[in-house]
Amino acid sequence: MRKRKPWQTTLLYLFVFVVAIVIIYPYFVMFTTAAKTDAEMYSANMTILPLEWQWSNFINAWKAAPVFRYFLNSLLVAGGATLVAIICGIPAAYAMARMRFKGKGFFLGAVIMSQMFSPVVLLVGIYRLMTDMHLANSLVGLILLNAAFNQAFAIWLLRGTFLTISSEMEQAAKIDGCGTIQALIRVLLPVSAPGIVTALIFVFINAWNEYTIALTLISDDIMKPITVGINVFYGYNFIQWQYLFATSLFATIPVIILFLCIEKHLVAGLTSGGVKG
Amino acid sequence: MAKQPKPPVTIRRRLRGAEPYLWMLPSMLLMAVMILIPIFTVFRYSVSEISRSGRIKGFNGLENFKDVVSSPNFWHTLTNTLVWTVVVVGFSTVIGFVLALVLNQKFPGRKLIRALVIFPWATSLIIQAVIWKYIINADYGSLNVILTKLGLIDHFINWTSTAEAFFAWECWVGIFVTVPFVTFCVLSGLQSIDSSYYEAAEIDGATFWNKMFKVTLPLVRPSLTVSTVLNIIYVFNSFPIIWTISKGDPADKTHTLVTYLYKLSFTNNRAGQAAAVSVIGFVILAICASIYMIMSLRGEEADQ
Repeated sequence: MRKRKPWQTTLLYLFVFVVAIVIIYPYFVMFTTAAKTDAEMYSANMTILPLEWQWSNFINAWKAAPVFRYFLNSLLVAGGATLVAIICGIPAAYAMARMRFKGKGFFLGAVIMSQMFSPVVLLVGIYRLMTDMHLANSLVGLILLNAAFNQAFAIWLLRGTFLTISSEMEQAAKIDGCGTIQALIRVLLPVSAPGIVTALIFVFINAWNEYTIALTLISDDIMKPITVGINVFYGYNFIQWQYLFATSLFATIPVIILFLCIEKHLVAGLTSGGVKG
Repeated sequence: MAKQPKPPVTIRRRLRGAEPYLWMLPSMLLMAVMILIPIFTVFRYSVSEISRSGRIKGFNGLENFKDVVSSPNFWHTLTNTLVWTVVVVGFSTVIGFVLALVLNQKFPGRKLIRALVIFPWATSLIIQAVIWKYIINADYGSLNVILTKLGLIDHFINWTSTAEAFFAWECWVGIFVTVPFVTFCVLSGLQSIDSSYYEAAEIDGATFWNKMFKVTLPLVRPSLTVSTVLNIIYVFNSFPIIWTISKGDPADKTHTLVTYLYKLSFTNNRAGQAAAVSVIGFVILAICASIYMIMSLRGEEADQ
């Protein structure tokens, strides 16, 4: 094996150290600020760490605004979007991985092209559509939109997974009298579980973190997901940084944990799907 | 049990021909309604006169486009968008690439650092934008406090005294949130490289840079291309960072196209002009996409 020279090792550690500090910094700020008292927030003599750790902020944040409701909305939107995206995505990815048909290249291209249109450039049209469908200011609207804008990635990931699995087992199942749907459910899906879980979690995280659509469509305070809801702590003349950051931490930590679980599969899926497509 | 009469062969065959499309139907329907219809609406709005309540009053040709391009703010915004996309994607790609090379080395604590790099990728953009807005606050921001405590500065600095300074900070946050994606794409490419390539290169007496340009770069190029193409699209269309940190102010000098069109549409009630800006954005991305297509086709020809 190659040996590193001492100066190379030093450089490597220095680089890693700087990267680690820079990444941790905003999370450190979020945590320490969330635990400060009101008086300390705006005192003339400011400190890095709170002089007095006010842990009650983490509890009081839930009472200062309908934070629980925001979390529930986020959970419903992200869960619903994930369900819709996967239920629509699995058959589409299956067809694109296993079947031959006219226009397959066109459909694959269309799926990839849809990535070009982010919700924000279409907001004028989305707003109009949702108003016409009476889905503005509703969680159902958010669910459908998040599911649609995550279709491309879901199909991409799922198709990539299906392509890595040989179709022999399904064919064997079909010879034994299984229909296509049965072969898919009984044979292919169990084998591709890691890929499916990855797609599920990835869509969930995207929908959980979504901000722009919800900001535009939701006007009722109690319908807001957490990303938009935290704005209540962010008034024009009065900002409650402690509650803002405490709530943000609650919204962030579970997502980071989920993401850590799928990291390996996700990255492999993203690039292989792209190269093969 | 009575036998069901079988449908004639031709119908069955036709059904089987339609099968793949049936499998794709739910997905395509969802995307058609939620993405395709808004695309059409945006194009229609861009050539229509729109009432204050958002209803179409009638066709007005290129009037919206004329209004948009006659505003100096638009041209400033367009320059900003270009700078924003090039700076954020460029720096993120270089930093992410180096970070991937480092994380591909074996050293104690590597797993921990890999996990840390996930953080900015997993955290909502709006939350990261808010933290950084707090960090750089001139009156009580964490950056001033820390630098003072470290003795690096003796009085609080206003980090965002000009529009340019504001925009530079926004670019920094953009880079911060984009690096992880590049890192992990490149890392997956690096991990698929067979170590025998490096061993062979070393036997031939290759230097570090030889190996970098002759082995590493060509082999991770596909991953690097995927991450760059996707990042150009994401960064170009990125909204929450700029909207949260500066809202395009001071004096509309820190907008990119997406924040500009958001303000036109939802603050200034000019949906027609906002749609025109959207269409201009599509055209720019479409031009980038076709340049990419042409280049990759040429690349294939050169390989043959």
